[in-house]
Amino acid sequence: MTANLFKQTRIARDPVNGWSLTTLVFALILIGPFGALVITASGDSGGLWSHLMSTVFPRYVANTLWLMFGVGVLGLLFGITTAWIVARFSFPGAKILEWALLLPATVPAYIIAYTYTDLLEYAGPVQTLLRDLFGWSSARDYWFPEIRSMGGAILVMASVLYPYIYLMARTAFRLTPASYFEVAHLNNRNIPFTVDLPLARPAIIAGLALVLMEVLSDFGTVEFFAVETLTLGIFNVWLGMNNLTAAAQIAGMAFIFVLALVVIERIARRRQRFNDTAGRATTKSATPVTGAKAALCILLCLLPIVLGFVIPASVLLSFVLKGLAITNLDALAAATFNSLTVSLIAAIAVMAIATVMILATTYRKHPILKVLTTISALGYAFPGAILAIGVVSFAGGVDRVAAYLGASNGLLIGGVGLLVLAYVVRFQAVGHGAVTSGINRLSPNIMSASFVLGRSFTGSMAYLAPPLLRKSLMASGILVFVDVMKELPMTLLLRPFNYETLSTYVYQFAKDELLEESALAALTIIIAGLGPVILINASQRDKT
Amino acid sequence: MVFCISGILHPVRIGMRSFVIAGGLIAACGSAPVMSQELNIYSHRQAFLLNPLLADFKKQTGTKINIVFASKGLIQRLIAEGPRSPADIILTVDIARLQQYAEKGLFAKVSTPRLNKNIPAHLRDPKGLWFGLSKRIRVVAVSKSRVKPGEVSRIEDLADPKWKGRICTRKGSHVYNRALLASLVAAHGEAAAEKWARGLVSNLARKPQGNDRAQAKAISQGICDVAIMNHYYYFKMKKNKKNPAHRKWADAIRIVFTNQRDRGNHVNISGVGLAKHSKNRKLTISLMEYLSAKQAQSLYAEVNYEYPANPVVHASTEVKQLGQFKDDSLPIATIAKLAPVAQRIIDRVGW
Repeated sequence: MTANLFKQTRIARDPVNGWSLTTLVFALILIGPFGALVITASGDSGGLWSHLMSTVFPRYVANTLWLMFGVGVLGLLFGITTAWIVARFSFPGAKILEWALLLPATVPAYIIAYTYTDLLEYAGPVQTLLRDLFGWSSARDYWFPEIRSMGGAILVMASVLYPYIYLMARTAFRLTPASYFEVAHLNNRNIPFTVDLPLARPAIIAGLALVLMEVLSDFGTVEFFAVETLTLGIFNVWLGMNNLTAAAQIAGMAFIFVLALVVIERIARRRQRFNDTAGRATTKSATPVTGAKAALCILLCLLPIVLGFVIPASVLLSFVLKGLAITNLDALAAATFNSLTVSLIAAIAVMAIATVMILATTYRKHPILKVLTTISALGYAFPGAILAIGVVSFAGGVDRVAAYLGASNGLLIGGVGLLVLAYVVRFQAVGHGAVTSGINRLSPNIMSASFVLGRSFTGSMAYLAPPLLRKSLMASGILVFVDVMKELPMTLLLRPFNYETLSTYVYQFAKDELLEESALAALTIIIAGLGPVILINASQRDKT
Repeated sequence: MVFCISGILHPVRIGMRSFVIAGGLIAACGSAPVMSQELNIYSHRQAFLLNPLLADFKKQTGTKINIVFASKGLIQRLIAEGPRSPADIILTVDIARLQQYAEKGLFAKVSTPRLNKNIPAHLRDPKGLWFGLSKRIRVVAVSKSRVKPGEVSRIEDLADPKWKGRICTRKGSHVYNRALLASLVAAHGEAAAEKWARGLVSNLARKPQGNDRAQAKAISQGICDVAIMNHYYYFKMKKNKKNPAHRKWADAIRIVFTNQRDRGNHVNISGVGLAKHSKNRKLTISLMEYLSAKQAQSLYAEVNYEYPANPVVHASTEVKQLGQFKDDSLPIATIAKLAPVAQRIIDRVGW
């Protein structure tokens, strides 16, 4: 009796076990598919490497780095500039632009690639107009930039990926305490470069990391634009040479490369602190601007919206209006329902898991858990189809164990649950990045105060985390939601029988470069993303 | 769907009641359909291409057919599922892929008099692991106005420097081009095939891009004069009711069957195999027989403009207008065997 009582008290006083254990279980589930890929990669690649090194590999690496660099720079330019403008200035239309800047996130990269090609290629309306205007008769009469190129890929990818940076940077800018500006003002410093950017660094880096991982893992756009990146190489090795081992090895190298970048960035800001411990957490309100300044603000914000949303959506709309789209409304309705439900479930799952894992690792500094949590958030760096193979192999293992325990049918493979698991593995990065940058801004004193006041660890987290992290959670939720809506390769391979989402529906036609036939479904992906974008943006606006 | 998540989060059953509930939830998640008159297809072809073929079989036999379509990774899904796999039948395009399923031991042997009679020996696996269902001819498309009849007659001609800056293709690493190159390796050896590929690459008008349709489009726009494509795209463009642009592209080109005086035009296949762990072998084999027989084969010919694998079934009226031609009688399995060699050549020459 006494022993039992003692035990209970001990557990109540030390709830770390529960949190650490949960985090450990989540981490192991999320890392499971990576483990399956490591096993795949550990086989014999059949001497393929010397061939690859002497032929295509250097080109793949160089192209990948260029693409990451280009999309990174352009994405930062779009994302930070617009976030700073809407956070610091108020001007006519600012309220609309603020959420409209998120719209490009709803456009899948493979669709924007297709629409830009349709617009800018030789037979497209732009070149046709130019030929008519200037009387040119063939491609040899003039020069026009080739859209199916590195430059084209950088432009379209940055145009749809910058919202990751924008959303996180905007949240960070808005939360910067006014006191910092007052100090900078007194010292006559350049405010954007001494206050805004340095303080928003974790958020910006989190956004940039997502963009770069997305670039690294992209297949649809680079294939369409014939830009030979590592991912394209992975597929050539896997499907062309029937060598999944070597393909997994290349994917693993790319993964380690990303891991290295993350670690370097961590070390670089190890000694820095990004939270405000002063009691006065007032933030700076936006400065009203008018006239030419306002016009400039509007113009700068409109640019990425036009590039990443208006143009591709208009091209799709024109396909529909020209009657080129197939209008099977039943199939479309079913696909829309599937997309919305699975995206919502995945978004909630990612946010919940990311919150638990990050709270546990931030306030209970267990080094091994921290490492596991970081690794578990890197699924984004794998090409979707390769990660899907990791997930399906891992699920096969789980199902074998389940069968051994007596479940006759597979537990995971072939169910919608597997899709959700796959999305969580892939998009954990999004939740992780947003929640981490949110926590970095919280004063550690808040939690300490809660502990001092006698609240338990679990109690403090349950009481304080939801209100304090609400904005970050909403931000990551919205990104996961639109990401799942757009996700293609994992959905394609892992879905149950007769199960279509909007993106698999679009792909049936896009596979044969007949996107115009699925233009209505493609538009639906975008429109379905609008609702949550607007809704959640509204919830971001009020002050915490 | 929410239930499926609980399926994931609580995979371990506790007590009998939760076992029953868990079982129900899992079934609700769409794992393995249990009715006996159901067939499960893993397909590398889009469902909308299969449905017309399957409609009649469904009606005749009262079978419900479930399809998962994916272009990559179905092999790994089958492997992961192991003996519990619900898949009964696998439909693919490209011979190399069929062969990969066979090599990984994912197909069961089938040998029935009807199948063996319907599908000629060079279009099926000698051991009965897979069967070709339709032939896809990789032809050369030339500009009607800028290339004279007879200027191109062999695929080897495309390496001739006279075509410098006049050829368009999709990427070499696409399965169709890889298989074509494998057929050249089979015909002339690796070194000669590499020399040909190098010549072809140096003749390209633009870097390889787009799909087969895009090459016809490029010819119609005057970007190039010669392209490589699968024959049925010509008809898909020509018969496109919705989009007049596609008809214009088709009108700009003429189809050339290559190597008619020697080994014949390179051919690839779409095909089918019985999943090793099918729980419905008898029904599945009857579906395979149905797909190889006259009615389904004519539909292949009509719907997708492919050449039926069954020699007694004629090509569609439109396709027949291309005239008689001779296809490469190389055993199709050789193409699959040489595909990795071809991919290495593609890497070396940068096609």
